[in-house]
Amino acid sequence: MAQALLSVEDLTMNYTTRKGDVSAVDKVSFSLAEGESIGIVGESGCGKTSIAISLLRLLPDNGHFRGGSVWLGDIDLLSLSEPDMNKVRWNRISMVFQAAMNALNPVYRVGDQIIEALNVHWGVVTREQGRDRVAQLFEMVGLDPPLMDRYPHEYSGGMRQRAIIAMALSCNPDIIIADEPTTALDVIVQDRILKQLRMIQDQLGMSMIYISHDIAVIAEVAERIGVMYAGRMAEIADSVSIFERPRHPYTYALMSAFPSITGEKHELFTIPGEPPDLLDPPTGCRFHPRCPNAIEICREQQPPLEEKHPNHFAACWNPMEVIQ
Amino acid sequence: MSEDNSNVLVKAEGLTKLFLVEKGIFSRSKSYIHAVDKINFEIYRGESLSLVGESGCGKTTTGKLLVRLHTPTDGHIYIRNYENELTDIAHRKGKSMKEFRRRVQMIFQDPFESLNPRRTIFDTVAEPLQVQGMGTYQEKEERVVALLERVGLTPASSFIFRFPHELSGGQRQRVAIARALIIDPIFVAADEPTSMLDVSIRTGVMNLMTELADEMGVSYLYITHDLAVARYMTERIAVMYLGKIVELAPTEDLLHRPQHPYTKALVSAVPVPDPRYNRKTIPIKGGISAPIDPPPRCRFYPRCPIADDFCRDNPHPPIEDKGGNHFVACYKV
Repeated sequence: MAQALLSVEDLTMNYTTRKGDVSAVDKVSFSLAEGESIGIVGESGCGKTSIAISLLRLLPDNGHFRGGSVWLGDIDLLSLSEPDMNKVRWNRISMVFQAAMNALNPVYRVGDQIIEALNVHWGVVTREQGRDRVAQLFEMVGLDPPLMDRYPHEYSGGMRQRAIIAMALSCNPDIIIADEPTTALDVIVQDRILKQLRMIQDQLGMSMIYISHDIAVIAEVAERIGVMYAGRMAEIADSVSIFERPRHPYTYALMSAFPSITGEKHELFTIPGEPPDLLDPPTGCRFHPRCPNAIEICREQQPPLEEKHPNHFAACWNPMEVIQ
Repeated sequence: MSEDNSNVLVKAEGLTKLFLVEKGIFSRSKSYIHAVDKINFEIYRGESLSLVGESGCGKTTTGKLLVRLHTPTDGHIYIRNYENELTDIAHRKGKSMKEFRRRVQMIFQDPFESLNPRRTIFDTVAEPLQVQGMGTYQEKEERVVALLERVGLTPASSFIFRFPHELSGGQRQRVAIARALIIDPIFVAADEPTSMLDVSIRTGVMNLMTELADEMGVSYLYITHDLAVARYMTERIAVMYLGKIVELAPTEDLLHRPQHPYTKALVSAVPVPDPRYNRKTIPIKGGISAPIDPPPRCRFYPRCPIADDFCRDNPHPPIEDKGGNHFVACYKV
């Protein structure tokens, strides 16, 4: 593996609520190499978006880091001052938000919003420079440059998502975090957006972190996949290895529960029970109450994330057999 | 489509719903969104039909028309009545409609919004019985408890006096399913019933719906944007585009041998949960628009890769059997 560009070590993050602390991210570690794309997949509430906002340090008021570090090269982002962190945001790491109406301000022209991002993060640009840059970005994401003078409501969902991608690209970041970039979009539009993202990544050689609940989307865009469950990383490996020999029972169940239009129509697997309440997570392995493989130790001790094959890590005391 | 109606449970014939869009305050000109435009299909006894398409294609409107939450602008909806005859309910009102409400039900997409937060689970599930005046309190309670147990809310006694906010999304959708099935309908329009649920919860709800269909003899119109889910839920799939059904075929046939150019593009765009699979997209140009006063020609004409002058100059193609119960609405197939 190439030199790690970003390295997350034992990241731990809580939300304080009136009912107590919600353990949203618990000792999560992973690294990202230059030019690499990694996918983080998991269900609602598993902590995948919390990781994204942790990397940019955009936690809400009730979110607190409880340990760990995020290394971007040799800088620990968690120890940076706020003004220094602001220089990292967008210039080094930027984010593509879900294609919701509220990701763009409805009362400003789309182009002006991107110019604002340039002014804040890239240094002050003249109006002409800004417009040239936006035109260049629009071409890159497949939007007609004159559209920059339109308002968000004049855009379709797919166009808005492209504009949000253009905004994320505006300051030439090293890393883009795409949080559910196509979730609100129809399948044909989704396909185009994902292709565009992959093309841009190839052209610019940046690193990508894709976050999604949809393993089919992640399978198509990510070279490496991390599977999260209840705030912890259950398994992380290159995507083919994850699909060929999932070792964590949760990964296996998630893949067997996912319908596909290709291949044999196999019976869909049902995972019993519900995801745990993170105010009071289960002891030991957080998946043990729902796990078909659970043994005594699972209830008592948290399994470490161990290398089960070369570069294939899983956190499980009693992993799935490898089916040849 | 087929002349023999003995197996038909629900039949839509020339079903149309137009919505008026007001243009300006003083303008007297009226425009209509052709949300559902002269569609025909049948659902047979013991089978369910999936209706798939992108947002704005009219699939939810179709579902609401079939259970008469919308009144059609034109066309017929035939549903089998208690005397086993196909009866047109398209324009029924009052008492005679109420009888049909017992035959048709709906399950909505969002289990967080479709249940009244101020009512207990018992009140919600028993309400259809209440409205239809079926059974004494004790009988109602027995039925509700039995059905809650059946949909997996066990023990039912611990659920009946709870409120929706105390339940998870999957549990709420199970309540919505129980509410729809409590009066033994023959037909349920299920509008994206699992799209808000996580994968690990979704399969359980999908399997439950399939089992209940067999046990209770109910047929679904399963409305979804997800072809992979449709594949697992029903034996046949209808594909909608801007208010028209463009293709209707047995599920595997439609997924592996799509014939309409829109279906081909749609099927080819579905991501595959396997990084080794090399998917080839069939691109189509442009995007979906609202069908406001559309020209009479084929709805797909502006985006179609194979359209020609004939498609431009002729009305929207009729949906025809191209062999093997594979219906396609396209001049070029």
